[in-house]
Amino acid sequence: MNLSSIPAQETNPEVRPFDLMHVPVVGDLFRWRYARPVLQAPLLVLSIIMILHGLFGPTLAPKNLATTLSWLHFRGILVLVLLCAGNFFCLACPFMLVRQAARRFFKPRFNWPRTLRNKWISVGLFVLILFTYELFDLWSSPWWTAWLIVGYFLSVLVVDGFFKHASFCKFVCPIGQFNFVASTLSPFEVKVREQDVCTRCHTKDCIRGRREPVSDLVTIRGCELALFQPSKVGNMDCTFCLDCVHACPHDNIGILSRLPGSELMTDPIRSGIGYFSRRKDLAALAIVFTFGALLNAFGMVSPVYAVETWLGRILHVNHEAPVLGVIFTFFLIAEPVLLLGLAAWLTRAWSGSQRALLPLAIRYTYGIVPLGFGMWLAHYCFHFLTGLYTVIPVTQNTIASLGRPFLGEPRWSLTGLPANIVQVIEIGFLVLGLAGSLVVTYGLAEDDSPDKPLRAFLPWAAVCLILWCASMWLMFQPMEMRATMMMSG
Amino acid sequence: MLLASCSRRAESPVPVEIEHEVSPAPARVGPVTITFKLADSNGKLITGAHIAIEADMSHAGMSPVFAEAKEEAAGRYKAHLEFQMAGDWVILLHVTLPGGKKLEQQIDVRDVRPN
Ligand code: SF4
Ligand code: SF4
Ligand SMILES: [Cu+2]
Repeated sequence: MNLSSIPAQETNPEVRPFDLMHVPVVGDLFRWRYARPVLQAPLLVLSIIMILHGLFGPTLAPKNLATTLSWLHFRGILVLVLLCAGNFFCLACPFMLVRQAARRFFKPRFNWPRTLRNKWISVGLFVLILFTYELFDLWSSPWWTAWLIVGYFLSVLVVDGFFKHASFCKFVCPIGQFNFVASTLSPFEVKVREQDVCTRCHTKDCIRGRREPVSDLVTIRGCELALFQPSKVGNMDCTFCLDCVHACPHDNIGILSRLPGSELMTDPIRSGIGYFSRRKDLAALAIVFTFGALLNAFGMVSPVYAVETWLGRILHVNHEAPVLGVIFTFFLIAEPVLLLGLAAWLTRAWSGSQRALLPLAIRYTYGIVPLGFGMWLAHYCFHFLTGLYTVIPVTQNTIASLGRPFLGEPRWSLTGLPANIVQVIEIGFLVLGLAGSLVVTYGLAEDDSPDKPLRAFLPWAAVCLILWCASMWLMFQPMEMRATMMMSG
Repeated sequence: MLLASCSRRAESPVPVEIEHEVSPAPARVGPVTITFKLADSNGKLITGAHIAIEADMSHAGMSPVFAEAKEEAAGRYKAHLEFQMAGDWVILLHVTLPGGKKLEQQIDVRDVRPN
């Protein structure tokens, strides 16, 4: 049976998807109009604390809340929530709370320029963040970490101060793009419950916004990310903001369960996105997401220092930036072009696919996303779980330093889960990623070459295996996280 | 081989020179020995000081390691530590001088090698 072309919950009309909106308390909260600000407020307070502590607190990363919370807890919880539920970070995004407040005073006047309505800027920023992370060793610098958060707030205010709708989320925000790509593998999706209700609906408030009958003023916003619920497919570009849920007059939108990753196997036209297979920018994002996962882990293990020293020697440079430039070019351009290009070429030769090489490569590129997500999960959960409890002494220490140690003396012996247990979890994530990628690429092969799916699939299975072996190798390297690379002087 | 270095003068009203050596050098994951020499601005060795040591990694997620230095010879102190992970370590010295004056000093031990 060709599973890939049938949306998950329509395979069996008897099986109704599970709806998070129907769960007591959680559903009530989400239905409430002020759910978003209420979820955002604590994260805003936390970001302010992190900024202040990062700028004025201890300069040592393990004693500072900015570094501890950003690089251990935030990243770990983010990927786990994406894996277990969906893009709920965007729902609770503190940047958007500040934007909302600012928009009470400054109404944006411009539409985001047509030529920039793609992911290229955000792909560039995503790479830039990965690059500065290595260059300035952000993980070891509370000060730089604080400025990164400040920079984020400022960019949101500038972009969404000038441009209408959720321009920042859709076209700029690198964290958002990370979440959009990862949430293609989430088990929940903001989705219409009954298509029939939508067909009969005349107002289309989910996209137009609910309006006052006479003045036509918008009272509840429609989707700011240009996703029209009845033809929305999957989680790409959805911030889980729930605006559509609140705007729909027929209460026809839920947070429904679905087969994770199923949206990667199909290529329908998607509202607000178009066809995945025609979006070079989205494929580039998927590449940066997946190969960036390997690169980011490579930046912290022992062999990277040998490679950097060696590169520095043959390039005759003493500065880290050009050396990192070479490593980034290799990981994010040369390696993907070579691997994916070769696989696309082989698929075409073996399966007799009629597609041109580039569209074929783009189409299958989404198949490696599960592997990338597995690697991010493994890597971020390593830091999160091995340092799980460190937030306790760091918080105790912060409060003690304010002169009122009501949480007691810092218990520095609290660390996290033992490394051997965490390693098993990491391997689990990597295996899950491999399995996901194999299923998705096979689904794509079945859809693309129904008569010779295996031949179309094999080159991609090889790519998946190569990436998986690389990930496994990386995970078993000793973590070093050194701040300096070329000590040669 | 021992790596000897002279640290910056501690920021305190009492001018104290702290010299330290880490062995093995370069430091590796596992037990290390750190020796200190404390002297005043005239080069006179300071005896009877109390040195509490705290070693952190340069990134979040690891517990600090604590130790006390023992005076081995006049003005010379020795401490044993265990580096659990490769990478950059930062050693904080909390020194209490015989007169009760306290001072703090930070020593960077970069590039602790994996085993
Ligand atoms: S989701 Fe609601 S508002 Fe949107 S088309 Fe369907 S019924 Fe209408
Ligand atoms: S579809 Fe649009 S309005 Fe609805 S939750 Fe997603 S981003 Fe928000
Ligand atoms: Cu890491």
